[in-house]
Amino acid sequence: MMAIYTLWGYYARWTARWPMLAAFIPFIPLIAIWAFIVWLELFPRVFLPGPLDVIGKAWELTYKGILGDYLIDSLSRLAVGAAAGIAIAIPLGIFIGLNKRAHEFSWPILLFFQAIGDIAWLPILLVWFGFGLTTMTFVIVYTVLFPIVLNTVLGIRSAKPDLHRAAQSLGAPRGRILLEVTLPGALPNIITGLRNGLGYGWRALIAAEIIVGTSGIGFLMFDARRAGSVDEIVVGMIVLGILWYIVDSWLLAPIERATGERWGLVTK
Amino acid sequence: MKSLALENLSKTYFDPYRGTQFTAVKDVSLNVEEGDFVAVVGPSGCGKSTILNMIAGFVPITSGRILVGGREVKGPGPDRGVVFQSFALFPWKTVSENVTFGPKMRGVGKAERAKIAEEYLALAGLSHAADRYPNELSGGMQQRVGVVRALANNPDVLLMDEPFASVDAQTRMTLQEELTRIWEERRPTIVFITHDVSEAVFLANKVVVLSKGNVLEQVDIPLSRPRSWDRLVEDDDFKALSNQVLQLVRSA
Ligand SMILES: Nc1ncnc2c1ncn2[C@@H]1O[C@H](COP(=O)(O)OP(=O)(O)OP(=O)(O)O)[C@@H](O)[C@H]1O
Ligand SMILES: [Mg+2]
Repeated sequence: MMAIYTLWGYYARWTARWPMLAAFIPFIPLIAIWAFIVWLELFPRVFLPGPLDVIGKAWELTYKGILGDYLIDSLSRLAVGAAAGIAIAIPLGIFIGLNKRAHEFSWPILLFFQAIGDIAWLPILLVWFGFGLTTMTFVIVYTVLFPIVLNTVLGIRSAKPDLHRAAQSLGAPRGRILLEVTLPGALPNIITGLRNGLGYGWRALIAAEIIVGTSGIGFLMFDARRAGSVDEIVVGMIVLGILWYIVDSWLLAPIERATGERWGLVTK
Repeated sequence: MKSLALENLSKTYFDPYRGTQFTAVKDVSLNVEEGDFVAVVGPSGCGKSTILNMIAGFVPITSGRILVGGREVKGPGPDRGVVFQSFALFPWKTVSENVTFGPKMRGVGKAERAKIAEEYLALAGLSHAADRYPNELSGGMQQRVGVVRALANNPDVLLMDEPFASVDAQTRMTLQEELTRIWEERRPTIVFITHDVSEAVFLANKVVVLSKGNVLEQVDIPLSRPRSWDRLVEDDDFKALSNQVLQLVRSA
């Protein structure tokens, strides 16, 4: 019992000093279980490679330059698609959120098209645009769009009436109220939209790469399947998880801490 | 600072779901002199907030007129500063940014705004909290910011709807004393809504008692100033006036 407390004390102290550790340590038991199952040799190695096999494979792929190239391909596709999606989604969400008529008119359409999830578009897109960048970009933009629009609308429409009134009574014209009151109030919702949108977009990209790709992490995994290289597939899966962790904790979480959490709009 | 006049003000609310209507304010006329401090009391639902929201321009008038300094007003405007029960501070702006929001909207430059912030935060005793965000302040501190934010914009009339109702009793008495001090120093024209009779008598020069959307009676409060709770708690005139107003409210 004492030993556990002591260990916990060390854990708390070290993770406070190096937050990166706090992200890594929970995976140690997971990896240990994985290694243990492999060690039992219940399945042939080619079916279930161990952690060391995967690390070796990751090193090999990195060394050959494949992993780096594919990573850049995937990330740049996501960046282009997400940037376009965000550039359309936020202004559209603001417009629909502010305009009652536009809201009534567009809401059913938004819900309808949201239901036709990303990859459900692939069959028809392949007919229209073929196996290429256009198809992939379309899928990402489409996937990123809806969560951001819907959350932005929600944020704009849930603005506090008293804050709006206070700004009016202090002499703020409409445009300034939008800029100084409505938008900051909607920011936590917009960030939630970004988080969901980018998350779905990332998944849609991998799916699109599996089907239409000639490069990228999704393609790497699917290509490895053809070669029967399970360790390569696992490398791809791990890369996906790590990348999302980085996007979330290095990009989105800091924005959240500097805005909504600081202002007391969302609980920490 | 300017005078405020309500002329035959009425408000009928329509309920679109039931198809019914309800007259919350009936033919109210009231004069508030320049630099006067008027409190409005009355039982819950008698139309206090409705009147204040019409003066502020937040809800449309059904009939009648509202004049500020002799000019009819329509819709919200910076000539009528509002202090809210919910404080309504901008959570994403620091205390000094909140206080200088009005001047900023008027196009006052940065240096001038810094001076305004300094002056009004000193008035509220909050100079040390200038760079904090509202959620880092206590309720009492937040409402001090709410009051000086409205004052810093130099309104002709200051409108307050139960501004101290959501702070604890101790803080409320301090805030009341601070408000009388500010009023005695600067003489803003104030309309103060409350359901607390002793608060109304403590603060105002004149207490208007409302009943079912009508003015039931106006009671002058000739208590000397400066007023403090230490003195007035035991004061016979204060007790008598409070009693008189309380009876009126109970009969309303
Ligand atoms: N938006 C509205 N629609 C319909 N009826 C309303 C609306 N706002 C207020 N009322 C009605 O008008 C009457 C007066 O309301 P008001 O809010 O002015 O009362 P009040 O005197 O401020 O009460 P309280 O002391 O409880 O704040 C009430 O009967 C209320 O139900
Ligand atoms: Mg009220």
